[in-house]
Amino acid sequence: MSRTGLASLSKGSLAALGAVIVGAVCLLLEGLLPWLTTFPKDWVLPATEAVGAGVKSGLTFLKPAARLFSTLMAYPMEAMNSVLASVPWPLLIAATVALGWRLGGIKMAAMAAIGLGLVLASGYWPQGMNTLALVAVSVPLALVVGAGIGILANEFPRLRGPVQALLDVMQTVPTFAYLTPLLVLFGFGPVVGLIASAIYAAPPMARNVLLGLQRVEPEVKEAAVMAGGTRFQQLFQVEIPAAKVQIMVGVNQCLMAALSMVIIAAVIGGFNDIGWEVLLTMRKAQFGPAMLAGAVIVIFAILIDRMSATLAQERRQLWDGRVSLAILALGALVSLLFWSRIGDPGSYQMLTPVADGLDSWLTDFTRSNAEALNSFKNGVMFYVLLPLRIGLDQAILPFTWGFQWTPAMSLWVFAAAAVAAVALALRGQLTLGLVVLVAAGILETGVSQLPWPFVLVGAAALSWVAGGPRLAMLSLVLLVTILVSGLWERALLSLYLSGAAVFACAVLGGGIGLLSAVSPMAWRLVRPICDMLQTIPLFVFLIPVLMVFQIGEFSAFLAIIAYAVVPMIRYTRQGLISTPDEMIEAATASGATRWQMMRDVRAPYAAPTILLGLNQTILYAFAMLVIAALIGTTGLGQSIYLALGQADVGLGISAGAAMAILALIADRIVQGFAEERKRALGL
Amino acid sequence: MSAVSGSDTPAISCQNVWQVFGENADSALKQALSQHASADEVSAALRAQGLVPAVQDANFDVKEGELFVIMGLSGSGKSTLIRCISQLLPASNGEIRIEGEDIVSASKARLIELRRKTLGMVFQHFGLFPHMTVAENVAYPLKVQGVKKKARLAKAKEVIDLVDLGGREDRFPRELSGGQRQRVGIARSLVADCSVWFLDEPFSALDPLIRRQLQDEFLDIQAKLKTTIVFITHDINEALKLADRIAIMRDGKIVQIGTPADIVLNPVDDYVREFSKDVAKGRHAKVASVMQDPEHHHYGADDPGLRRDMTLDAALARCMDLYEPVPVRCAAGKLVGVINPSDLAAALQVETEQ
Repeated sequence: MSRTGLASLSKGSLAALGAVIVGAVCLLLEGLLPWLTTFPKDWVLPATEAVGAGVKSGLTFLKPAARLFSTLMAYPMEAMNSVLASVPWPLLIAATVALGWRLGGIKMAAMAAIGLGLVLASGYWPQGMNTLALVAVSVPLALVVGAGIGILANEFPRLRGPVQALLDVMQTVPTFAYLTPLLVLFGFGPVVGLIASAIYAAPPMARNVLLGLQRVEPEVKEAAVMAGGTRFQQLFQVEIPAAKVQIMVGVNQCLMAALSMVIIAAVIGGFNDIGWEVLLTMRKAQFGPAMLAGAVIVIFAILIDRMSATLAQERRQLWDGRVSLAILALGALVSLLFWSRIGDPGSYQMLTPVADGLDSWLTDFTRSNAEALNSFKNGVMFYVLLPLRIGLDQAILPFTWGFQWTPAMSLWVFAAAAVAAVALALRGQLTLGLVVLVAAGILETGVSQLPWPFVLVGAAALSWVAGGPRLAMLSLVLLVTILVSGLWERALLSLYLSGAAVFACAVLGGGIGLLSAVSPMAWRLVRPICDMLQTIPLFVFLIPVLMVFQIGEFSAFLAIIAYAVVPMIRYTRQGLISTPDEMIEAATASGATRWQMMRDVRAPYAAPTILLGLNQTILYAFAMLVIAALIGTTGLGQSIYLALGQADVGLGISAGAAMAILALIADRIVQGFAEERKRALGL
Repeated sequence: MSAVSGSDTPAISCQNVWQVFGENADSALKQALSQHASADEVSAALRAQGLVPAVQDANFDVKEGELFVIMGLSGSGKSTLIRCISQLLPASNGEIRIEGEDIVSASKARLIELRRKTLGMVFQHFGLFPHMTVAENVAYPLKVQGVKKKARLAKAKEVIDLVDLGGREDRFPRELSGGQRQRVGIARSLVADCSVWFLDEPFSALDPLIRRQLQDEFLDIQAKLKTTIVFITHDINEALKLADRIAIMRDGKIVQIGTPADIVLNPVDDYVREFSKDVAKGRHAKVASVMQDPEHHHYGADDPGLRRDMTLDAALARCMDLYEPVPVRCAAGKLVGVINPSDLAAALQVETEQ
């Protein structure tokens, strides 16, 4: 009985039990062995320095080639720049409207006209064109590289594994992190932004090309073989055209990624583009102009997204080309007729009063509501974020909570948790009981001060449950890498902030997703907001939170939530509404009420999809965490940002890698659970 | 039968063809073949290693102009076998000759050449190129050969008319019904004047009425073109209706090869018998298959006029009230056999007694 006692425990209980034991031991010995809580400095390997030195010498080796490339890329960039700068704006607007008409008819044409009209009126036309010039050069580069990678991976199955891993790394390593080595390689200037955006935008293209090619029906491929096509003919005449829709999805994602990255890259260079404008005005606390410049970015994003999305429609129709030609001719005519009077498009600052009005209104608003806003901010900070970060024992102070936390209270917390755990265990829910204990421990200690053995064991145990011993091993090795590289504390800080944001997203997004699944009305309202939030480049999220809540962790927290909540909403709704009709009918026939159906049928069926949504949310949160370092967070994001400023390649790469490791482990764990649920449902 | 001459070279010849799936399948097969004598032992050895012998020791010849049907349930390896013969899958072992030429060792360039000039294939789910119109789909095998656009569209038009799709040249596959799509698939496989034609369950995805219609049209086309055909199906009625000879596959093995009458009247085992159970035997088996040697058997005075190529049903109808053995004659009236009416009746009832 006692021998089978341990063996009869479920995997989850076993893992939770391990975490509880290690956690308890750490807590008990905390006083005796201080190295349990803080990883001793002299155990840290000089990895960061070594990486820095190694990469730097590698970079010096590559530098001449890189500089040559940089010089070469400067030509198309300048050419594009001068073309966009010298083409009269009526012609450019006409060309965009004409394209909009051709792709999407009157709706798209109107969108293009209004959008670009607003850009012109904002006075940010020249800056906008500079940004577009960068995108126009980086996107073809990314498309060619991405398509090349995708096709190669398709042709040589042996390359697929390594290529997938490379794409994962390219997309999980935070954008700022590879700006630093690029900076060292290519020197300051817009070319770095160009290359960074090409690196960031190529993976989605590569993924979609590979996916599209693999999804071509086997019989279609065989038919091309049997027709006697050479491999080249098969690929270019049959497989690629047949995969067109998926490839166009890749083009769309590539465009959006390039735009997003070009704007972020403004952080490093005083290149007169729209991202720089946002950054500058934000630094000067001129929120009206910052909003205006942000709006220009959003307009570009929406136009590029909606127009390129029509390319990926299954059966797209093209609208009458003659109308497009007429619009174009009209634009040319206007440009010619008013040639002398067109003047500098940057001088149209018709929206400046609006921006100024907004600015002053906002200032008034924040001033008059300072008390409410502050108490909201402080409430969340003092009662939620801070205890999570440094634990109840340190967060509860007389001047915030009104009393002093005592060791006795800690004991009470643990005692209550233990009682709950025992009660749950007696009801047969041992795992849940153990998790309650773990949660109590974390809350008492604070995420950023967790003893490192506990984090290692906890993460490994979770990985073991989710994905077996191999994943556990991987998590352990990767986390130990962070530990010995001396970035542990910062990693825990990042973990805390992204964890808190992901938790908030899960609750908020899950709730909104549920509501949207139940009520089509709610979805009609939520959907355009989701579309909008997903189109906006990362950077722009910072503007509104900064305006209202100033620099600080709380603003970063909100920005992360705003960006990362969308996938949670979408996947939750999608999972809940995609229950097969027969299951619904069977439940109805059994007499289930609406909520019983939701709880017993729809939710379990949706679990894998919702988990995938959570996974996306986690990755989004990590991506935003680094950008949010711009407005004041601590942790790895801050290190990456600092490294960028000091051109410290070692720190930049190590911190970036640590960030990618956290994202990777979280990704694999959640995917593991999703897979397990899928298998359990036989999907 | 007669001395080997050029014209007797089979259009397709398969000797000891194996296809094994799994890790390091080819080397495992080689090893198993050297260790075991019989195919069954080799298969057992491979299965024991977790490998899947999808085609086991297939041996058969297909004569020029013959319509050879491979029949079996799904998973019996028939689609794999046809892919070995057409070299869509390189076979793990064995010799495959098409018109005498060893295609297993053929170079890539030679294979492309063969596919352009000699081989044609029709697929179960049509395999039409979704981004091409009907005419472009049909003309594609000519396009890869570099035939000029005008010439290839003219040729495509001919075949499109042959399959009765005239007027739909500019449609896209998604705008066609299932039956029409398969007509496009057939037209495409015929456009390059192939002499060996592979059809992989071409009518299985169609509903029964359309299926019968396409079968009839297919027989018409075959009568016109006289190509050598390998036809895959899981439908015994289709096999009996179309085939000159049928090969029945089970779990990767060819269990019987024979004419439709052989299959129906002399099934080698229960598996084959199970297939032919629902078949109206009298409509497929011929008198020749049950008659006896006239030298050693006497026959009575009645002569109901039986011919050796009559179906059993027809023969039985003429012998309804006869009990004595009757003569069977060839078309010229010469005595070729003797048949006892009770044997006729017994032959039709084989399966009901089991």
